Amino acid sequence: MNAIRGLWRTTPLVRSVLNKITLNRQFATATIPPIKPIEEVPNTVELDKLYKRVELEMRGIDPAVLLSYSWFCIAAASNLGIEVTKSWALRKAEKERHTLLRCVHIYKKHRVQYEIRTYFRFLHLQRLTGSTCDTFLEYIERNLPEGCALKVTKVECQKMPDHLTPPQE
Amino acid sequence: MSLFIRKYKPGVVYNTQILWRLNSTTAETQKQGEEEEEFRVLDILQKKTRIQKKAARRADIQPDRSEKMPTDQNWGNVWPGPRSFHPSSVPLPIRQGYVPKGQAPPGKKANAELMKIPNFLHLTPPVIKTQCEAIKPFCTEWPKLLNSEEAIEKHYPVEVITSDYCHASPTIRNPLARIVTMRVKLSDLKLDSRARDKFLRLVGDKYDEKTDLVTFTADRCPVRKQNLDYVNYLLTACYHESWTVEDWEKEKCLEDMEYYDFDMHPSKKNLVNWFFMSNNKENNLSDDEIKSFDTSSIPNGVEYKNAVSELFNEGENVTTLKNYDTAVRKLLGLPEKKVVD
Amino acid sequence: MNTPTILKLVQPLNILSKCSPVFASQFHTSSALCRVVSGKYRITKKRDRPLTYEMANPPHYIAHRKSWNSWNTSSLKDGLRKSETAVEDEFIRRFINGTWHGLVCSEVIIKRQFNHIRIAAIIRRAVSPTKMYFLIGYTEELLSTWIQCPVTLELQTVDSYKDVVFKYI
Repeated sequence: MNAIRGLWRTTPLVRSVLNKITLNRQFATATIPPIKPIEEVPNTVELDKLYKRVELEMRGIDPAVLLSYSWFCIAAASNLGIEVTKSWALRKAEKERHTLLRCVHIYKKHRVQYEIRTYFRFLHLQRLTGSTCDTFLEYIERNLPEGCALKVTKVECQKMPDHLTPPQE
Repeated sequence: MSLFIRKYKPGVVYNTQILWRLNSTTAETQKQGEEEEEFRVLDILQKKTRIQKKAARRADIQPDRSEKMPTDQNWGNVWPGPRSFHPSSVPLPIRQGYVPKGQAPPGKKANAELMKIPNFLHLTPPVIKTQCEAIKPFCTEWPKLLNSEEAIEKHYPVEVITSDYCHASPTIRNPLARIVTMRVKLSDLKLDSRARDKFLRLVGDKYDEKTDLVTFTADRCPVRKQNLDYVNYLLTACYHESWTVEDWEKEKCLEDMEYYDFDMHPSKKNLVNWFFMSNNKENNLSDDEIKSFDTSSIPNGVEYKNAVSELFNEGENVTTLKNYDTAVRKLLGLPEKKVVD
Repeated sequence: MNTPTILKLVQPLNILSKCSPVFASQFHTSSALCRVVSGKYRITKKRDRPLTYEMANPPHYIAHRKSWNSWNTSSLKDGLRKSETAVEDEFIRRFINGTWHGLVCSEVIIKRQFNHIRIAAIIRRAVSPTKMYFLIGYTEELLSTWIQCPVTLELQTVDSYKDVVFKYI
C-alpha cells in the first residue's frame, strides 16, 4: 500500500492517468462531461533570500565572555567571507536596581541597593544570502556560551510585489 | 587458667591484649575450640586499617590525562565541544582567584572558579578554521551586481525586518519573534499625485518624511508567518485603496487642500492677467487655460511661484519673506532692496 | 480526631494567600533573609574553620572576585522564565546535595545552554568509582525526567575536602 502511495506522490503522470480513470468511472452514468484534473503548478525555482543587513545583539552578565564570543563571531565571519561592518559595546551596562531599607524597620535614610547588570554587545553584518545567513547563524548559535542571549535582527530585501501596479482602466 | 596453660607453648609471644580477650570470652572460645585465631580483634584506635585503605585507593587513581599528552596533538579532538573546565585534560598552568598581595592564586585543580566561567577551549582559531571550511559549501556568494546600496535599493526596494531570539530555556519560542516590520520607500511605489496624497492620508504616522519611508509593523498575530501576511496585506490594501476614486472625493475644493498649490489659486490668475496687461495683450483665456498656463514663459515667473508657494507652505519666516521680497521686486522690475545700516 | 480541625483552620489561610496577593504579602511564610549574616562566616577562636574560595568571599564580591553559580539568560534584561529558573536551580541544588550526600565539596554550578542543563561540581572520592558512575547516571536520568531537558553532569573529583579549602578562619 505504501509503495502505491509513494508512487501516487512522486509521479504526476500516473496520478493524472488514474484521476482520469476514476473520474470517468464516477461520471460514466451521469451526462456531465468529465472534469479535467487540476493542472500541476509549474515547478518554480525557489529563489534564495537576500539579507541586506544582519544585526546581532548579545546580552550577558560578563563582558569578557561577550567579548570572546564576538571575537569568535568575527573570526567565523571572516573565514566564511562575510562582511562585518560594525562591532561595538555599550559603554555602560544596563542596571536593574532595587533599593531596600538597610534595617528591617527603622532608619529610613539608610538604604542598600542591589543591582542586576546586563552587558550588551553588538555586531553588524552586511550582504548575506539566505543560505549563508542560515549556515552562519546556525554555527554561531550552536556555540553560544551559557549565560548569553542572542537576538538576531535580519533585514531582508525583497522585490516589489507584482500586484503593486496602478490599475488599468 | 587451664586453657591458658594448655595453649601456652614456649616460643610463641602472647601479648596482654589477647590474654585479656580470651579471658573475657571463655564460654564461646571453649565451644569453637581451635578457631580462636580468626577472632576479630577489638582495635580501639583503628590505625592499621585506615592506612591500608588509603594506600589501596590511591593506587587506582589514574594520573592526569594532560601529563601524557603529546605536544603536537590535535586540540580539537581533546576538547570537541562546550564543557566545563576540567583540570586533568587541560595542559595549561592556569590559576584563578583573588588573593592578598604576595600570594599565588589557587591553581587549576579543585578550583571552582575555573569551572564556573564559560570557556572557549573548543573554539580555538584552528578549530574555527576547519569547521568553517566544512560548512563553507553551504554558503553562497552575494550577487556581484548588487555591489552598492543604491543597486540593492533599486532592485529590491522592500525591506522585511524580523528578529530571532536565542536563549537558555526548555522552550525555543520567544513571543517577541512574531513581530514583523516592513519598510518601503514611498518614491518606489508607483503613485500619481492624487493617489500619493490619499496613500499618505491612509498610512498616517507610519510615513516618515525625513527618510521617505513607509513602515508597517505587525505584532497582532501569534505567529510570524501570519504577521508577515498581514503586513503584505496592509501594503497592498493601502496601495489599491489609494488608487480608487470615491464619489465624494470630487467634492474636494480649494479650501480643503492640505498644501498651497499655486496653479489652483487666484494668485496665478492675477499673475497671468498682469502679464498680459503689461504686454498690452488681450487676456481671453478660460480658467482651465490659466491653470495650465506655463509660468516659465513669464520672466521671473517661476521664481515668484516658488516664493509664493514656499511662503504659504512653510509659513512666514525671515527666509521665505525675504525670498518673496526679492521675487516680487524682480518680477515687477523694481530696484533691489537697499540695506540700511 | 484532631487533624481535621487543624486542617480546617489552616485551609482558609492558604486559600486567602492564593487568591489575593495582598494577603500573600502580609504573611511571612518563608524564613527571613538575613542580609547581614548570609553567606558570611565568623572567625572562630581557634582559627580552624575551613573555608573554600567561594565561602571566603562574601556575596557582594560576586562579579568582582568570584562569579555566579547559575548561568542562564533568565536573569538578564527581558529574560523569560525568571521564577521557574530560580526554583528549578534550587531544586537541582538540593537534589544533588542529597543524592551525593556528603560528597559535594563545592557549590553546585548550573549552566544552561539552549535547553541543555550542565551541572558542574567538585566531588570527594569517598565512594567507589562504580557507585559514582551509578550516581551520575541516576542524577542525570531523574533530573532530565523532571525538568524535561537533557542534563549533563560534569564532575571533578578531589581526594578530600582539604583540597578545596582556601583558608582557615
